[in-house]
Amino acid sequence: MKRTLAALWAALSSRALAPLVIGFFFALYIGIAFFTDETLTVLITLTSRNRLLAAVLGLLPLNFACRMVVEAAGYLKRRRALSRGAVALEPALYDETVELAASPDFAELPERLNAAGYRTKESGELLAAWRGVSLAPARLVFLATACCLFAGILVSLVGRSVTRQPVIEGEPFPSPTTTGGLVQRIIFKQSFGSILAKDLIMEVAGTGPGEGTRELGVYPPNLVGGAFVYPRYLGVALDCKFTAPDLPGGFERSDIFAIYPPGKEAQMAVKGSPYKITLSLEKPQDGSDPYMTGQMVLHFKLVKGSDLLLEGNVPKGGEFVRDGFRLAIPEARRMVLTDFVVDYGVLLIWGAGLLLLVAVLIWLPVRLFFPRREMLFQAGGGTVRACSHAEGRAREHAGVFHEVLDVLAGKQSDSSVS
Amino acid sequence: MSALKLLPQLLAWTALAVVLLRGCTERRRLTAFACAAGFVTGVLGIAFLARSLPATPYGVVRSLLGGSFLVLWVVSVAALYRSTGRGGSAVASARLPARSLAIGSLSFFFALTAGGICACRLPAAGGDLLPLLAPLALVLAGLALLVGALAVERRLPASLTVNFPGLLAALVALLLFSSASLLRLDLFSPLSMKVMKGTHDFVHQFMESILIPDHIFVRPAIWGYIGFLFGKEVGFWGGMVIWFTPVLLVLLAIRFELLPKVSHIRQGALRRKLLAAAMRERNLRMVIPALSLVVFAAAAYQSCYPSVEYWDPKPVLVSADAAGEILLAKKGGDLNLEDGKLHKYLYRQGGHEARFFVLLTPTGKLTVDLDACAICKPDGYGQAEGTVICYYCKTLIPLDTVGKPGGCNPVPIAFTDKNDAVHINAVTLMNEWTRTVQSTTKKEGGK
Repeated sequence: MKRTLAALWAALSSRALAPLVIGFFFALYIGIAFFTDETLTVLITLTSRNRLLAAVLGLLPLNFACRMVVEAAGYLKRRRALSRGAVALEPALYDETVELAASPDFAELPERLNAAGYRTKESGELLAAWRGVSLAPARLVFLATACCLFAGILVSLVGRSVTRQPVIEGEPFPSPTTTGGLVQRIIFKQSFGSILAKDLIMEVAGTGPGEGTRELGVYPPNLVGGAFVYPRYLGVALDCKFTAPDLPGGFERSDIFAIYPPGKEAQMAVKGSPYKITLSLEKPQDGSDPYMTGQMVLHFKLVKGSDLLLEGNVPKGGEFVRDGFRLAIPEARRMVLTDFVVDYGVLLIWGAGLLLLVAVLIWLPVRLFFPRREMLFQAGGGTVRACSHAEGRAREHAGVFHEVLDVLAGKQSDSSVS
Repeated sequence: MSALKLLPQLLAWTALAVVLLRGCTERRRLTAFACAAGFVTGVLGIAFLARSLPATPYGVVRSLLGGSFLVLWVVSVAALYRSTGRGGSAVASARLPARSLAIGSLSFFFALTAGGICACRLPAAGGDLLPLLAPLALVLAGLALLVGALAVERRLPASLTVNFPGLLAALVALLLFSSASLLRLDLFSPLSMKVMKGTHDFVHQFMESILIPDHIFVRPAIWGYIGFLFGKEVGFWGGMVIWFTPVLLVLLAIRFELLPKVSHIRQGALRRKLLAAAMRERNLRMVIPALSLVVFAAAAYQSCYPSVEYWDPKPVLVSADAAGEILLAKKGGDLNLEDGKLHKYLYRQGGHEARFFVLLTPTGKLTVDLDACAICKPDGYGQAEGTVICYYCKTLIPLDTVGKPGGCNPVPIAFTDKNDAVHINAVTLMNEWTRTVQSTTKKEGGK
């Protein structure tokens, strides 16, 4: 059992596991590419529906988590060896370990090592020397980044649910899980930020006593009832009334139309008649944005079969009357087609982005300017066991290490001569 | 003239034999024999396939090329993994397999593929004798060059060695260079196209996944940067990254190989001598992979600027009659719509214009198509070697599939074939063109 667990741990914490799993998905991607142009979409769908594939993907965050444990344990062991001197040095922790018949007298060494820029500590039969800062914390943060990223992708693939709903001024906020308050106003305005050109704010009244008005913006998306509010398209909620000479009873409809920006068309069929009405927002002559100002003029085309009968403009609250035809738009309200996304993987992916930034900010200066270099000398039984480890500038470090070993070996031969 | 066209392939074959012989110096005779057998099998096998199943050889050779490139990727990643791992004996693990079977199989496979590529370059027709004589002449030329390669390899300095990943990189580079001048075997252009599509899909999925606002909210300049990710330049540069990375990984793997441990040696001079020798050997082992990098670059260049001349006639301006029909006579003067060549036309109406072409496919079916596809920017098509090529994404469309909708195929247009003329409805043509072009140009970079 112990052996099985050890083998399992070795496999899960292996550096080879992540490249293997990524390679597997890459091979799968190539395989799918032979059959369809929508390769990524098919791969995503397959992984989200197939538990085995999801489990294989799950190996990635697990592997990075296990490697964090291994990395942290190695770091702590190396620190312990430097500070207190472990009973037995572990060669696996070091780049190089050598045992030589040498004098256990470390007397001149601290001075020599200090001159080379190393800090030293001597305790009993142990001499430790080090300089620079360890990259282990940066590596830990990087492993945490990878763990969060792949965990986020896995959670997103397996658990993401999206509901698209229109948010309309003057109507209850259509949160998928709770009863939303009234949408008091939708504000669309110029933004002075460096990334967003326009701001969208949906003001939603509180539902209970003491709950104030909530403002839902574009980015970062707000959480409402456990779902992220992700505005996608702008449009208009219209009340239309239409009568024609051969349709005296008239036609009335309240519906949403994704007709932003101005000029974008949407078509409405007049039920029980050959008429179709194509609507678009008219671009104001002063260049203003009708969605921002709220002063909307609708451009319409009235088609019967394939013949264009009429074309004209109707302002919000106004009507168009000609040749027995009448088109009235008593109400036009701002509408935002919004996705309600239940997906906590997003948080992990954002977290991974931040962690990556932290890892790079730590790793780069440390690796360039202060790489960690360590050496450890442990005397006992007429021999000295020496270990060396460098995270950068390894050849320079190896030179110092070899010199120290030469000094120790020289002392031994001096003492044997005397 | 055909023999001259084979020059790059034969050069690549010679270099491939030299590299294989240098990589397997312990079994030189076996390697030479396997190379000869592989080349002969490759040439004759593909020549036989070309006679019995004309469309198959290209697919077979392309699969071999794609497979060997994938194997190179795996080997290069593994090599880097081993050489950066603590305590990994990188040098030992990167050694060539010493077994006769492994060396024989490796040599046979690469020689077979090289022979196959050369055979694909042979003229497809030319009398009754040529299909027999040309492969035989090619086999003799290949064997003569192999003898030359043996002589050249013996004169190379003994210190110039290569490890297994380096050997593989050189062999794959030479095969890709050899195939790059054949449109239907070229891998770089389809790779760029797949990268372009893959990047587009990935960026789209990624932005939706992390809830990035849509373009109506984002500054045009920022959206411009995002739009760059959808362009064909990304396909090209992404393709370059995938193309060159395996060789770079092999070079890095050699560079990161651990130097021999010398701490147990107490003579400083000896230590330095050993380390210097190890570093010199390591540097020499990087020579062949570094040269492979140049060969990879030459293959990519050849793919981007092929010497093939596409048949791409200037579109002829046509107009519609009073009933809104465009009439194209099938024959008249020098014109013959049924000669199997592209015939391009341009129709203008009210400031708009639509480009289309008429083609008789090898199946004997006449087809009318837009000079644009449903997914790329409308850069149009050219005709070469049994295919039409989309100029935008360099996808090759076999002639017998032209007229079928989907993917990067030209968008087919309804027409009638009566009274020795092709009749096309001008409104349908213009609407189809507008719809297609609008949907492909509104996406930055098309695909």
